[in-house]
Amino acid sequence: MKRRALILSGLGAGAALVVGWGLMPPRSRQGSADTLPVVGGEIGLNGWIKVAADGQVLLAMNRSEMGQGVHTALAMLVADELDISLAKLRLIQAGPDKLYGNVAGFIGALPFHPSDSEPGRETRTVKTGQWLVAKLARELGINMTGGSSSVADAWDVLRLAAATARAQLLGAASLRWKLPVDELVITDGIVSHGSGPSAHFGEFAKAAAVTPVSSVTVKDAKDWKLIGTPAPRIDVVAKTNGTATFGIDVRLPDMVYAVVRHAPMLGGSPGATNADAAMKLAGVERVVRLGSYAGSIAALAVVGRSYWHAKRGADALQVDWQAPPAGVLDSGAIMQSLEAAAHAAAKDQGGFAFYSRGDVPAAGKTASRHVEQVYRAPYLAHAPMEPINCTARITGEGGARRVEVWAPTQMPGAARAVAARAAGVHEDAVTVHVTYLGGGFGRRLDVDFVGQAVRVAVETQGRPVQLIWPREEDLTHDFYRPAGVAVMQASLDAQGQPTSLAITSAGDAITPRWMERAIPLLAGPIDTPDKTTSEGLFDLPYGVPNQRIAHVATHSGVPVGFWRSVGHSHNAFFSECFIDELAFEAKVDPVAFRLGLLKDAPRHAAVLKLAADKAGWGTPLPAGRARGIALHESFGSIVAQVVEVSLPNGPQSGRPRVHRVVCAADVGVVVNPGIVAQQIEGAVVFGLSAALFGRIDIAAGAVRQRNFPDYPLLTLADTPRIETHLVPSTRAPSGVGEPGTPPVAPALANAMFALTGQRLRELPLTL
Amino acid sequence: MELSVNGQTRTLDDAAVDPGMPLLWVLRDVLNLTGTKFGCGVAACGACTVLVDGQAVRSCVTPLSAVAGKPVRTIEALGTLDKPHALQAAWVAHQVPQCGYCQSGMLMAAAALLAKNPNPSDADIAAAITNLCRCGTYPRIRDAIKTAAAALRTKT
Repeated sequence: MKRRALILSGLGAGAALVVGWGLMPPRSRQGSADTLPVVGGEIGLNGWIKVAADGQVLLAMNRSEMGQGVHTALAMLVADELDISLAKLRLIQAGPDKLYGNVAGFIGALPFHPSDSEPGRETRTVKTGQWLVAKLARELGINMTGGSSSVADAWDVLRLAAATARAQLLGAASLRWKLPVDELVITDGIVSHGSGPSAHFGEFAKAAAVTPVSSVTVKDAKDWKLIGTPAPRIDVVAKTNGTATFGIDVRLPDMVYAVVRHAPMLGGSPGATNADAAMKLAGVERVVRLGSYAGSIAALAVVGRSYWHAKRGADALQVDWQAPPAGVLDSGAIMQSLEAAAHAAAKDQGGFAFYSRGDVPAAGKTASRHVEQVYRAPYLAHAPMEPINCTARITGEGGARRVEVWAPTQMPGAARAVAARAAGVHEDAVTVHVTYLGGGFGRRLDVDFVGQAVRVAVETQGRPVQLIWPREEDLTHDFYRPAGVAVMQASLDAQGQPTSLAITSAGDAITPRWMERAIPLLAGPIDTPDKTTSEGLFDLPYGVPNQRIAHVATHSGVPVGFWRSVGHSHNAFFSECFIDELAFEAKVDPVAFRLGLLKDAPRHAAVLKLAADKAGWGTPLPAGRARGIALHESFGSIVAQVVEVSLPNGPQSGRPRVHRVVCAADVGVVVNPGIVAQQIEGAVVFGLSAALFGRIDIAAGAVRQRNFPDYPLLTLADTPRIETHLVPSTRAPSGVGEPGTPPVAPALANAMFALTGQRLRELPLTL
Repeated sequence: MELSVNGQTRTLDDAAVDPGMPLLWVLRDVLNLTGTKFGCGVAACGACTVLVDGQAVRSCVTPLSAVAGKPVRTIEALGTLDKPHALQAAWVAHQVPQCGYCQSGMLMAAAALLAKNPNPSDADIAAAITNLCRCGTYPRIRDAIKTAAAALRTKT
């Protein structure tokens, strides 16, 4: 039973049983010709593709563009199969149909060890688990952009949809012209035959929709024209001239603005409120009390003529803020309790073991040396550059009430659900327009702000409202990357080879908390083990014969959420620094030491070697510089990084200066090498901000960091040279947006050790 | 009140604005020029950077009264679709933007830099571009500014 609960923990076992997976019919992911709404002579060919009268192809885009280049990457898959240029393809937002749900992202949440789930060599248990979750995910149809899953999820689905559309269009042309289908060619959307006839897709679309096709296959890799090329992103021009519309840029006639103010304390609420001073200010229209929506805490919103007017009103409110009934939080005390929990579990084999092999205690008895260290990571905020916002408009009365929402969201379906609840209407009465996201990083997997905006719109009587959180509200009321502690223990034999590895970590689980607030349908009565707590620890590629990797899931009361690379973001720091410590104990070069443990992991070894080669590992550096390396797999992709560092202000003082980061990555088939390089560069910068500065402290119940001066990000001046080298691959694409982040903190810490001899075991890294 | 934006004189309804209202909100919420972004409200991130009299200014802390009679230039008038500014062309050539939210401010800060310094070094760029980007587009911004500077030098 334990194993089955584990299999389903990615989705919540409770929900699986309620749905009754055994009775569900298989669901195609192609949809039918009438899935997409059509206007003005458009013809739907399947649930993803329709053709306009002028021959333009329209693609239903189900993923949110938040910088990761997904609109371009998914468009490339379709354009390549159809033999059209990206300019001939127009994106339309996919609707709420279950067809557009994410399957790969939920399979990725399963806690399988990579050695059991290698594609093509999965164990029976893994196959069963993946099949079950795939089936469940199709039935639930949860549209999520996250988990670095978009291209992996679309890879088969979109290419098959486009290949089928192509076969139908060619079939229709063949029938009309009475020419053999295999003599027809497509050139940028024009079908032609050597004997003369030529016409664009629009001319065949109607016939194509009723042309049956059989045994459609997608293109062979050798025939790809776009896949594998650094095609320019389709969103870049709009993002250089101010015309790209983010959520905060939505402008509607007669719109008002609302500014949110939460209690200073996490979990606090507004008590008696005096709004007299606020209401006397010019341009302030009203004050709205907000309840709790999808994880938000009770708050106040001030409505005004502009953000500035509303913000002045919010600042002028006199509020008797109430402390949370559950008690006042303190991050220092939480860290102590996490450490105590990890130590206690390490002592008596407690916590949930995500991975066990061999016999760790027995190995310890015969070992010649033991190494034990404690690693720590703080809470972190997402801080996307676009502040949290949402625009809502409610029209009509009673049964005719309609809700429209414009939201920068990674979860349009959850946004729709919370909007319906906040307005007291059925979900069918809600339309969600997904805008560009000015950064997501996991923050916009939560939809709390959507509920707040709709609640204010209920009060503004038909006038649209744009609700915005000041930056201070964002940093003090985020769903934070959980703090974590890990007790790392290893035994070495006389030759310095590790014979056992025991990792016992402690920290809050994100997935059950997120499901409770964002997808209540999936929230179970008990927390099943959450893979994200132990990812980056239980799934290491190193062939240590005896292992026990366990996690103690805690309940700190701090709101926690998914933060770019999630558990890997801190667990890679723990594991890759500890491996470096073991290499030092064994007196072996860190690259050679890792390679010795990667005999059964050739892909990992290849990535490690590529990074080391490109960085000139082992070659001399200028005085005062040192290198460090780290290797980490996450979201199906393997990344190694070599960091070069110095201490410009002397050996024991000041901040390190990172000069160069060399990255090697195996991400499967590379759809767009330009975007992959861009994502890895960005992930390195994101990881360096966390490694050098990132910390959220909670004292007397309140988050201390309120704006960028207290929560610094890396600046251009501090940004190193970053190089990316990709390993050629024929495997299906794996994650790209997140895997570049985890290795950079440990590579930097390992470089600091090489430079100073000092081990830094806590983030952010301070000497 | 009157405001000179992108070569046009805009008359602002006195009931809609206040001399103390930051320029950012006049641009965004009164004139609907949404290319200029709000990021922090405390002049720390630079998403709101515009040019006032050719100087890069953080509009979130610049009151309307401080720009009276001075020409304001925003991203909407940096170039046009047909004739993009050299910086915009370089931004496309280097595929700089990811989420894109900070890029208006980055481009305006870079435009102010190139107006003063036609051949900026890495150190000059690091000193002038203090805007924040959460996606980490900095290495490409550095390269794109150099490309644009070279293009502008060849032109003149």
